[in-house]
Amino acid sequence: MNSNTCDEIRKQLAMLLYGELSFDEEERVETHLEKCADCRTALERERALLSAFDQVAVEPSPTLLRQSRERLFEQLQSEPAPQRAHGQSWWDRLIDALPVPSAILRPAGAVALLAVGFFGARLAPTIGGFSGADILASRVRSVEPAGDGTVRIVLDETRQRTISGGMGEAPIRALLLAATRDASDPKLRASTVAILGTQTGPEMTPNVTPDMASDVRDALVFTILNDQNDSVRLKALEGLKSIAMQPDVRNALADVLLADANPAMRNQAIDLLMQGLESSSAPAVDPRTIGVLQELMSREEKNTYVRQRSQKALELVNASAEIF
Amino acid sequence: MSRGTASLAQTALQTDEAALIRAAQAGDQDAFAQLVRVYDQSVLRLAMNLLRSPEDAQDVYQEAFLRVYKNLNNFRFDCSFHTWLYRIVTNLCLDQMRRRKVRKEEPTVVEGGEGLVDRMDTVAEPRAEADPQRKLFSGQVRRRIKEVLGGLTPRERMVFELRHYQGLRLRRIGEILGTSEEAAKNCLFRANQKMRAALGDFV
Repeated sequence: MNSNTCDEIRKQLAMLLYGELSFDEEERVETHLEKCADCRTALERERALLSAFDQVAVEPSPTLLRQSRERLFEQLQSEPAPQRAHGQSWWDRLIDALPVPSAILRPAGAVALLAVGFFGARLAPTIGGFSGADILASRVRSVEPAGDGTVRIVLDETRQRTISGGMGEAPIRALLLAATRDASDPKLRASTVAILGTQTGPEMTPNVTPDMASDVRDALVFTILNDQNDSVRLKALEGLKSIAMQPDVRNALADVLLADANPAMRNQAIDLLMQGLESSSAPAVDPRTIGVLQELMSREEKNTYVRQRSQKALELVNASAEIF
Repeated sequence: MSRGTASLAQTALQTDEAALIRAAQAGDQDAFAQLVRVYDQSVLRLAMNLLRSPEDAQDVYQEAFLRVYKNLNNFRFDCSFHTWLYRIVTNLCLDQMRRRKVRKEEPTVVEGGEGLVDRMDTVAEPRAEADPQRKLFSGQVRRRIKEVLGGLTPRERMVFELRHYQGLRLRRIGEILGTSEEAAKNCLFRANQKMRAALGDFV
């Protein structure tokens, strides 16, 4: 291979990897690479060189980011409002007078999408001036029950804010539901599902409509099926205890039995399933659950507890079947 | 299909941003806060990587957004908000890097009990924590890479940072730094040559 050509090509390899060559340049380099093994080796070395630089990249820690935001907004409090550089035209004034709903303005972040998914358009009420729109722009930092039936939620906004309220209040529930899916903080998810778990029982908080209760149930079901953290899943499972006989929950328990890698989860799930089957108010068991139990009989060779309980459950279902 | 969806989403995002900026210009503090939140993480990352000092990065962050706040009414949508913000941030970082070059400061590394300790480790998260390769990567090479980056001129360092770590196109980088795409490309090329010369034996 002509070494002059090779020299020229090698000068362009980094730009090739960055995708910064023109169509013609790229074509020329690619054509050469097909024919020249030395230059292909050089390309691989270039790739290795560039990826080596990834190893020293740093990401600011959440704490540093939070501190920076707090400091900035402290400073902004003491700043005079920015002055208009030019006089406003009538058109500017008209535009400015239009109300700007911040929920629509906000670029869609993960939390926002989740909150919308869970709560949709029901976010009308406000707590202490805290509206549904604010919720979409907030991240829950921590939650704790206050003892008097209310919940204390610390929010990470650009400034940190704490709000309190009862479980029946829509913004509080929306924040809790969003917090169950906060991928960055398993501790937050665990304490949130623990609080939500207290909301599934028959003695649930007044003012909570059945519709809202189903939101909580769905969030807990989602958690047991999808959360990556074992203790978060276990806590969510605990919260489903009192509604284990509901068909949706039963289905989810069956899924846990089939798919969850954690034996503690499977033990707990079979217990809840049994409990649901034993409950006098339990609806008739569906064929899918029976199928799962039968499958477990043959699959759970290692976990004898699950196998024995499955057998018992099947006997129970057969016994019940005569009554129904 | 997915490309169409993405560009639709992008357009929606841009429209939202323009509305946010107008609201902030009209004095809506919450709108300004939301604007900050859209960009501040990448601003802080840029400053941290360039200056390798959490204190200096925080100073740049603070000063940049204060300037944005004070001058927001002068923003006339001639360029994207991102470009405008990054012009401010990169200027602040370049100033700081040039001052350091004059003073020959090296703020990231302090003397610890067992030799050199990188202070960045206490406030920064490694970007590729889960990558098993990272563990194998010897400290020696990492030190060498940091030296190479420290040896680049502030402009070369800036262009490399924006292209390699922030993933911006050279055309956009030229726009931010007030130069042509071609000049940005030459700058990146020189940076790359220096890196290869210094690290050729390691990788």
